[in-house]
Amino acid sequence: MEALFSWQRFWADVPLLLPYFLVTVKIVFWGIGVGLVLGIVLACLRLRHLAWLEPILHIYVSFMRGTPMLVQLLIIFYGLPLVLAAVGVQEAVRWDKMVFVYAAFALNETAFLSEIFRSAILAVPAGQLEAAYAVGLTRWQAYRRIVLPQAWRIALPGFGADFIALFHGTSLAFLVGVIDIMGRAQALGASTHHALEGYLFVALLFIVCSLGLRVGFNYLDRRLAYGR
Amino acid sequence: MLSLKHIRKSFDREEVLRDVSLQVRHGEVVSILGPSGSGKTTLLRCLDFLERADGGELTLDDLHVDLAHAKRRDVLAMRRRTAFVFQNYNLFANKTARENVMEGLVTARGVSPDEARKKAEEALAWVGLLDKAGEYPSRLSGGQQQRIGIARAVVLDPEVIFLDEPTSALDPELVGEVLNVIREVARRGIAMIIVTHEMAFAREVSHHVVFMEGGRVIEEGPPEQIFSQPREERTRTFLKRYLTDSNMYYI
Ligand SMILES: Nc1ncnc2c1ncn2[C@@H]1O[C@H](COP(=O)(O)OP(=O)(O)OP(=O)(O)O)[C@@H](O)[C@H]1O
Ligand SMILES: [Mg+2]
Repeated sequence: MEALFSWQRFWADVPLLLPYFLVTVKIVFWGIGVGLVLGIVLACLRLRHLAWLEPILHIYVSFMRGTPMLVQLLIIFYGLPLVLAAVGVQEAVRWDKMVFVYAAFALNETAFLSEIFRSAILAVPAGQLEAAYAVGLTRWQAYRRIVLPQAWRIALPGFGADFIALFHGTSLAFLVGVIDIMGRAQALGASTHHALEGYLFVALLFIVCSLGLRVGFNYLDRRLAYGR
Repeated sequence: MLSLKHIRKSFDREEVLRDVSLQVRHGEVVSILGPSGSGKTTLLRCLDFLERADGGELTLDDLHVDLAHAKRRDVLAMRRRTAFVFQNYNLFANKTARENVMEGLVTARGVSPDEARKKAEEALAWVGLLDKAGEYPSRLSGGQQQRIGIARAVVLDPEVIFLDEPTSALDPELVGEVLNVIREVARRGIAMIIVTHEMAFAREVSHHVVFMEGGRVIEEGPPEQIFSQPREERTRTFLKRYLTDSNMYYI
């Protein structure tokens, strides 16, 4: 009878799994990248309470924050190509399927990050914006140079936690058939009848990356302390 | 030079400014006195469009704006020719003292960073804080922050500076250093409207004193007249209470 776990198989799995980590990194990259830009735009828009837009944005954010990520992933992965085709973008059904995975995570991140940034912007004292206006800055300049940098500092811990949660959440993608590192570990386990080594490697990799991210965010937090 | 006419402002149903008019000549220091809630802060905030007045006109030399309907461009034009000093300083928390003073020059006026840095350091030296140029506001005392707040205003070479109780958030021992800087501003011939509860200072530095109550100008005139022979009963009551209160406080 073979041992349940062997370090030999563990090391043999590493080169087979590691390339698939790139898939995870790409999902995180697009999720955070797009989510950050749209999230900040969304936060700024919502703070202006635009009469006709606000109810729509509110529903959007509530839906994305109030339903399981898996449900959103399934809806967007299977539904968005059809919706796009229906509105005239026929070639959408032939696009790389990964686009829709990125879109699902990005749209979800947009909602979560918009809430983090909205409360961070609200936490910047009103006097900061007023002082910026008083020295002659336009609204856009005042936000870009004074309010958003301070909001960014306030949002950082929440953003860090969200980043790490997304990183872990990407493993859901394998449920729509994406072979990320998680999917690859499972497939490897199924074909060799030794899944444990692969899963252990994935777990360790995620722990190391999470710790690395945390250290990075703590460093940023101290860098942006503005003397405090 | 600066003239405000018929300024009105309500919050919800409450009329906070009821037809306030005021003149400020070149280089003139005007002090506004009045009890709490009389609308002094609201008046200054309306002049810098930090609050939207319901009515009134503002003329600054050739620039004439309707306070209630001013367009973005007029608001910006007015703000770029005036400056504001806040009760709680409102220095930019994410910028050093030097960057605070440079910000308006570089971003609003388009002055080159090198030129702005030179001007900012001159202004900081002028308020005696050049050695703190690289510090963030959170590391500075209230008095130092307010002096930088004044440097940030003066560096823009404004035609008039609005100061809302510039010393009332300060510990008593720090008030003097800030008042000294304001005296310097007056000596430079920059016009100011100062809301203050520092009666002795107002009397010394002002060319003109305005007493407000209930959103109206009750009485105005040269400081000797307002402080020694106020005509209105309400002014007399206010000054009497204020002077005895503050005497009791400081003795
Ligand atoms: N943003 C606001 N919303 C509602 N009411 C306000 C607002 N700002 C001021 N007020 C009201 O307007 C009135 C005038 O306020 P203001 O701050 O102008 O008085 P003030 O003369 O500066 O008083 P103080 O000497 O206490 O600073 C007060 O009754 C205040 O409650
Ligand atoms: Mg006030």
